[in-house]
Amino acid sequence: MACANASIRANAIAERHDMIGTDATIAVSISNVSKTYPIPLARLKQIFRRPTTAPVEALRDVSFSIREGEIFGLIGRNGAGKTTLTKIIATLVQPTSGRVTVHGRDSVRDEEAVRAQVGLATAEERSFYWRLTSEQNMIFFARLYGLSDRAARSRTAELFARFDLESAARRRFGELSTGNKQRLAVARALLARPPVLLLDEPTRSLDPIASAGMRRLISSLAKEQPPATVLLTSHNLDEIEALCDRVGVISGGSIRAINTPENLRGLHKSVERVRLTLQHLPHEDIRRVLGKSFTDLEIKEIPNGDNGKNVSVLFAREAEDDRLGWAISRLHEAGGRILACDTERATLLDVLESYERTTADAKGES
Amino acid sequence: MLLRRVRAFVVRDFQLAVSYRMEFFLRMLSVLFVVTTLFFISRIFAGNAATNFTQWRNPLAAWITGLAVLNYFMTGFSSLANAIRSEQSQGTLESVLMTPIGVPTLVVASSAWDFVQTTFNSFLYLFFGWLFFDVHYQGNFLLALVFLVLTTLVLACLGILSASFAMVFKRGDPFGVILGVGSALFSGVFFPTQLLTEYAGRSLGQIPRFLPTTYGLEGIRRVLIEGQSFAQVREPLLMLLLFLGVLLPFSLWVFKRAVTRAKREGSLIQY
Repeated sequence: MACANASIRANAIAERHDMIGTDATIAVSISNVSKTYPIPLARLKQIFRRPTTAPVEALRDVSFSIREGEIFGLIGRNGAGKTTLTKIIATLVQPTSGRVTVHGRDSVRDEEAVRAQVGLATAEERSFYWRLTSEQNMIFFARLYGLSDRAARSRTAELFARFDLESAARRRFGELSTGNKQRLAVARALLARPPVLLLDEPTRSLDPIASAGMRRLISSLAKEQPPATVLLTSHNLDEIEALCDRVGVISGGSIRAINTPENLRGLHKSVERVRLTLQHLPHEDIRRVLGKSFTDLEIKEIPNGDNGKNVSVLFAREAEDDRLGWAISRLHEAGGRILACDTERATLLDVLESYERTTADAKGES
Repeated sequence: MLLRRVRAFVVRDFQLAVSYRMEFFLRMLSVLFVVTTLFFISRIFAGNAATNFTQWRNPLAAWITGLAVLNYFMTGFSSLANAIRSEQSQGTLESVLMTPIGVPTLVVASSAWDFVQTTFNSFLYLFFGWLFFDVHYQGNFLLALVFLVLTTLVLACLGILSASFAMVFKRGDPFGVILGVGSALFSGVFFPTQLLTEYAGRSLGQIPRFLPTTYGLEGIRRVLIEGQSFAQVREPLLMLLLFLGVLLPFSLWVFKRAVTRAKREGSLIQY
């Protein structure tokens, strides 16, 4: 098992390195990026013998790329380096070493061109002018993107319609609900129709229905012509799983794995628990049918709503093997009526926790 | 494109200003109060100025010209740093910097409204003096404008240095203290600079010579109050050009280094 996991992980890493550099459809390329935040006025502090803290190493040799039209998720704990990486792509912070390009433009040497291609939406409410209306805010930023007055107004109206913000257009930003503020931030990121979108927790403050709407919108952006490339950072792992084509796990400033959500889960738990709920088959018959094939079989009676009883059958299997189909057909042939089938698989949380444990272990050893 | 962006900032700041309506009227009222107070103080000195201080025969004219011009100079000097500080403290600097706008453009454009506002305020000083207190100006207004623009540009260079300081050290800007207090005291806003040598000694009396505001104020007063021509005000004009020639490349170089440093430290948006 360990051998299989190591092999899948090696493939994931190999895939990560293969992608960098040559693919013509690469939208964002991050090559060997490291970032250490220097201590301000360190030399002066040394001269005056004032205590200084160690420089903060936020990113360490990060390399990966994001394909055009891809929704790429970045997950990690607070302080793992997600925001620093996003800000480097957005040209707000310069890397200590390494290189970031957006559609071939270097984020340090050609920063204005990069900014023209990147839209950033953060959950930071203070990024708007609170005493201006939503519309005034949007038109101001549209003008900074170089849109004419007419184009700015028309684009703003278009985005307000798309984000269901028309009723908030004439209201001051400070008076908006948290959800509307969040939606306005994403709408602003789309003002100049950037080919690359950096979304930092876009659904953090939204109610469940608004969150679902935002997810549909993000998903639709990648399907548009031309498609938008999205880098999504979020602590909502279900959202990452639902939206992202690939996910990067960042821990302690390093990228630990990049793969599809399914493969990442597969790396960490190849065994899944299966629960079948059925009727019309006594315990003994179930054990007779499945007992030899599933040694860890658990059978329980559970009351149903009609004063009767259902039977819950629990067993473990290798993910995606063919024994689930076999078990269902045998139970059915024996006269059982299958009511439900649930599987309990590894989640991205398990994946993240696993990498965090190894990071903590590595720190402990060093 | 630059003008479109400057306009965007001016419109934004106008919208923000009108969202505080009361402040606008109070500011107008305060200028009127200052001019009125100066008028009554000037009555004490009227006609008593020494004959060699020709600009000060009408002290009210000298003071309100001094205040109007100082107001403008201080904006040239402080608004660039204030623009950065204000965006940093509001938290909007990051979102503005996410647009394809360079930091130098941002600094210039976001201080544009300050100049519009200060032009209005400075005009109010002169207007109230003319309307209520019979202060009359003569001479070549275009030449006075040349002095005003030139001195403001020189002070804007110091403002760029100040903005660089704000970007790296955030607060505690030494330029503000030195120039703010220094200009009011040493460049002849409220009294002739010759008096410094007379009362404070030769070394302190030399300080005004190192301040661009001294030459700016001197030039504007000589044009507007004494009615002097271009040939007569050539010396302060040349001094201002000299200041500009030295300070402009130096301040731009420092500013570029400050931006790079702030980006490297990741502190560009911190306050």
